[in-house]
Amino acid sequence: MSAPSVAVLSGFGINCEYETMAAFEFAGAETFKIHVNSIVRGHEKLLDYDILAIPGGFSFGDHLGSGRLLGNRLRFSLGDQVKSFVNSGRPVIGICNGFQVLVKMGLLPGDSGLTMTQTASLTTNDSGKYEDRWVTIELDANSPCIWTRGIQRLRVPVRHGEGKFVTNDVNLMDKWEGRGQLVARYVDPESQYPASSSDVLPYPTSPNQSWRNIAGVCDPTGLIFGIMPHPEAFHSTWLSPDWTRKPPKKHGISPAIAIFRNAVEYSLEKETE
Amino acid sequence: MSERILRVDVTPVIKSGMIDTRARSVAKIIPVRIRKKISNLRTSLGYTIKGDFSEEQAEHAAKVLFSDPITEQSSTNGSIGSGLLPGVEESDITIQVGYKAGVTDNKAMAAEDGLKTVFPDKHLKVASTVSYHLWLMEEDVDLSSLTEVLHNPMLEQVSIISGKNRAAQLLQFPSLDEQRYIPPNTVNLDVDDSTLMDISENGLLALNLEEMKAIQSYYRNKSTQTSRETLNLPPHSPTDVELECLAQTWSEHCSHKIFSAKIEHIDTETGEKSTIDSLFKTHIVSPTSDISNDVDWLLSVFHDNSGVIAWTDDWSLCMKAETHNSPSALDPYGGAMTGIVGVNRDIMGTGLGARPIANTDVFCFGPPGYSGPLPKGLFHPSRIFTGVHAGVRSGGNESGIPTVNGAIVFDERYIGKPLVYCGTVGIMPRYLPDGRESHVKTPSPGDLIYMVGGRVGSDGIHGATFSSLELTEQSPSSAVQIGDPITQKKMMDMILEARDQGLIQVITDNGAGGLSSSVGEMAELTGGATIELGRVPLKQQGLSSWEILVSESQERMTVGIRKEDARDFEKLADLHEVDATPIGKFTKNGHFQINHNGECVGSLPIDFLHEGCPQLELHSEWVPPVQSEVALPRPSKDILSETLVEILSRPNVASKEWWVRSYDHEVIGQTVVKPFVGENHDAPGDAAVIAPIPGSTIGAVISNGIVPRYSDIDAYSMTAAAIDEAVRNAVCVGVDLEMIAGLDNFCWPDPIQSEKTPDGKQKLAQLVRSNRALEDVCRAYRLPCISGKDSMKNDAVIDGRKISVPPTLLFSLIGRHRDITKSVTSDFKSDGDIIYLLGLTEQEIDATELAYMLMERGEGGIGNSAPKLDPVRNMEMYRALTKAMERKLVRSAHDCSDGGLSVCLAESCFGHDGGAHVDVSQVLSENDNLNEWGILFGESLGRIVVSVSPQNSPEFEKMVEGHAWYKIGTVTHEKKLVIVDEKRTLLESDIESLKIAWKGTLDGGH
Repeated sequence: MSAPSVAVLSGFGINCEYETMAAFEFAGAETFKIHVNSIVRGHEKLLDYDILAIPGGFSFGDHLGSGRLLGNRLRFSLGDQVKSFVNSGRPVIGICNGFQVLVKMGLLPGDSGLTMTQTASLTTNDSGKYEDRWVTIELDANSPCIWTRGIQRLRVPVRHGEGKFVTNDVNLMDKWEGRGQLVARYVDPESQYPASSSDVLPYPTSPNQSWRNIAGVCDPTGLIFGIMPHPEAFHSTWLSPDWTRKPPKKHGISPAIAIFRNAVEYSLEKETE
Repeated sequence: MSERILRVDVTPVIKSGMIDTRARSVAKIIPVRIRKKISNLRTSLGYTIKGDFSEEQAEHAAKVLFSDPITEQSSTNGSIGSGLLPGVEESDITIQVGYKAGVTDNKAMAAEDGLKTVFPDKHLKVASTVSYHLWLMEEDVDLSSLTEVLHNPMLEQVSIISGKNRAAQLLQFPSLDEQRYIPPNTVNLDVDDSTLMDISENGLLALNLEEMKAIQSYYRNKSTQTSRETLNLPPHSPTDVELECLAQTWSEHCSHKIFSAKIEHIDTETGEKSTIDSLFKTHIVSPTSDISNDVDWLLSVFHDNSGVIAWTDDWSLCMKAETHNSPSALDPYGGAMTGIVGVNRDIMGTGLGARPIANTDVFCFGPPGYSGPLPKGLFHPSRIFTGVHAGVRSGGNESGIPTVNGAIVFDERYIGKPLVYCGTVGIMPRYLPDGRESHVKTPSPGDLIYMVGGRVGSDGIHGATFSSLELTEQSPSSAVQIGDPITQKKMMDMILEARDQGLIQVITDNGAGGLSSSVGEMAELTGGATIELGRVPLKQQGLSSWEILVSESQERMTVGIRKEDARDFEKLADLHEVDATPIGKFTKNGHFQINHNGECVGSLPIDFLHEGCPQLELHSEWVPPVQSEVALPRPSKDILSETLVEILSRPNVASKEWWVRSYDHEVIGQTVVKPFVGENHDAPGDAAVIAPIPGSTIGAVISNGIVPRYSDIDAYSMTAAAIDEAVRNAVCVGVDLEMIAGLDNFCWPDPIQSEKTPDGKQKLAQLVRSNRALEDVCRAYRLPCISGKDSMKNDAVIDGRKISVPPTLLFSLIGRHRDITKSVTSDFKSDGDIIYLLGLTEQEIDATELAYMLMERGEGGIGNSAPKLDPVRNMEMYRALTKAMERKLVRSAHDCSDGGLSVCLAESCFGHDGGAHVDVSQVLSENDNLNEWGILFGESLGRIVVSVSPQNSPEFEKMVEGHAWYKIGTVTHEKKLVIVDEKRTLLESDIESLKIAWKGTLDGGH
């Protein structure tokens, strides 16, 4: 069985492609940095890859709203390719700016018909500013999300100015929650697992005052996953903010790699089916 | 359809759980007296679209492009932008701000790009605006103060909208007056000396009489005249193109004339009279070249855009630090942003192209709480602070380069010119796939010259010469630009791929002096170059030849490509949507030749361009300043404890967390020791440690040292202290002392004696002393400088009053870390750990943070004896400590700097959420001169506070035996800092209240 291949998008201000590739490689995948235009212009086909990753960054400077311009480029130029990719059961992850892109394309939280209709948004943090700080997220054990299977909590950095998840239809929130789509939530690291709740936690436990403490969501199939914090930025144990206080038993690959390993394993399982 | 103007405006939806955060942020910068009169404040963003575009199309664009269907509402007729927001009464007043014509408008460029996606066949122009809508409780609002904080008149236009007929009050689409092309002029230099100087001054050439005469005599030369005739150039006189090219190349900014000058130096203290032939060669190059005989890792020093070291067998690192002071004074946001993206380009332009992987930012500002008189034409220091911070944040974050280390220093003398130091570290594979060494440029005659990235406009003309002059009310706005990080990021992605494909033969950035400098410099490598200005892509038509040549429009690199690689290079540029245009070729005919539309408009011999500038001859005279002595109050427990609170809350010492947290410090996934450490990630890290190769534990350490206060006594002490601070910080995280390299970055007031600068000799003497310290300390630390920069005109003359910065050296350090899993951080780790003070403590109070605090209160002066450095003794201790760290014996290490031992201990406690009990009796008993003030707040150099677990302490003590070490206390669970002299308590403070004081000063207005 060969290692699953990951298309890691790059270009136009995406800037986390290096560490995203590292995280997937540590998880056992083979990674390829693909410029958005290589697909748009037909030099590359999405369907030649097993996993698609849209890394973080400032695509087009986040002018006109984070992720909007790249979202449009993908929606108008690659909408069909993305649809067939998802319909063929392959995992997609969008991290930070990549999450914003997927939300503005309408793929997240999404709908079973893949209509690409935007139903939620990621808007400016209540603090009004960009921040880099570490948070703790809890993952919903009952979610269909294939990316978060078996993970209870993770410590990860957030690095964004627009990460507050909102919608204009509260009924939708309930529906997504019921289906386990609100898969990642900010929690107080001191609390006992499970602790995720819908009451918005105080800043900075919730760094952006996201509705229901949402840090990440998946689509109804659980294949498409978007997350504001950066698990890929914690690919190695020495990247945690306080490892010198609590050194790991052994230095090396960090617990956050579990997210990427889940997708790799999912792809391998699918191949053997 | 004909061309029309459509206005799309977008405003946040306000409802439960959704707010207008932009309005909240803006409210914070509005003066309280005005804010009190505002009952409601809302904002909207506007996009004015020009082109053949229907209203239906505008509505479609508003939906899919400009507004968010969930969080925003939009209008397409200008109503929202003029204050008619849905669901509320019309605003009392709306203030609309937009850019002036010709100023970089990133939002508009993004919008044009976005419109292309939706309407591929349309050519639409966009201008962005922002509207502030106000509802007032009282009518008499001071509108001029309000608009002043909401825009910068140098770059932006504003309209105050109210009442009826609001559409007519909206800002017009900014369009430049058609610029008329002016053909090259001939400048007659066959004139008397005073006319020569008029030509220099009126043309903003910043050339002195000797330099003007050197140019004059070149054109009087017979062989010059003969060769010019063959090119159809005016034989006896330069064209304006040539004169501008020379002025740029010979500017202080580009050619460092003061550092190359011959200096007659007098020291009135010692009676020394000596001649120094170039400070640069004597004190900077010579120690580095001696050290290079002992080490094998110096790959490229001084001559390239950054210095390069052989970090591992496979990878090299490079580093450069720059200043962007004058532009940051005029437009803090744009100036600082172009500063950071500019120094990123220095890294891209190193060798055959390096990848920027870490930024450092060090700022010197006037005090944020300054309430004294402010000369007209200057921004308040807090506005400069906010703007510079925002510029560096955008520039760094949007480029995907982490800001890993920095400092902010406050002093009233930075009100005239803030100092904005931006540094960048880069990485390159040692060898490219084609076998070439990446740090060596390999151009050949015949290679094509490409201009890559942004286009050339009238912005940024005369930046290099302007920064070589003092700041005045007349300083030109054309010298200020706003950076475009995304255009640059696209270019960076593309350049690095081109490098790895072996397509690049030579590369450099377009910074100061534009094409005249970038091509002029690279032409030296092959012995000539010819360019055609008519091929240079322009932002606007009508630029004259000299303007195209010297414009410093941002985001451009100049690259040399072999003819056979041109197709591949252009294909790559097209994929990344980057402009890459061949504008000429390298030659070996000895000349830099400039053509415009087929006609030769300038030709200068390479050797005259680069070697023809006459050496300056300067005079320096050192007269030690006489300061009032420090007046120390009688120490008591209360006074000493209160002093610690006060020092922790002084801006220089206070936590910068609120500001630094909005820099991305961990993109790329490599930052091992971050700006914040400790239990709650809010204690200060000493130096950054990065591990740039995923999975590999070999790392790099980046640190900075800056102590301008000591210049008030002696720039020698200031320099020595800055270098030691950088080294000490690096030692604290466990740097490998076998591979440390430095960057010297001088920011000086004008040191040339003249009518305007009657104390020039003293300022130059300070520079001499600073350079001597640099040499002495770098030799002792075996710390070669690999790159540097100087900015020598940091004076502002406003309202006839001259404000000069204190002589300031920023010393930046980059070093290797052998195993980043052994990095040490500043926070105490466990209750019961033993605290040691390493290094000797003298009674060194003069020029310290304490001395300034007392002086500002009106008690005494700063004294006359700045802390002294013993680098040889320090280095021995640093080596011993480093060995102990390699054996994992050290749990925390923090350097003693501003505020001395007590501040250092408090900060180590902040990171632990605990306290410390410290007994300094042994230190005091060994030194009769030392008193309570000296041990608690003195700033003796070369000191580090470390903590060690009780079981490791015997081994640790053995390892530091023979060096100055003192076992001074233990880490406690109780959150208290207690410092005693045996039974007598000197200081006792509750850690929480210390932390509140430390965090409260620079909390961004919260």
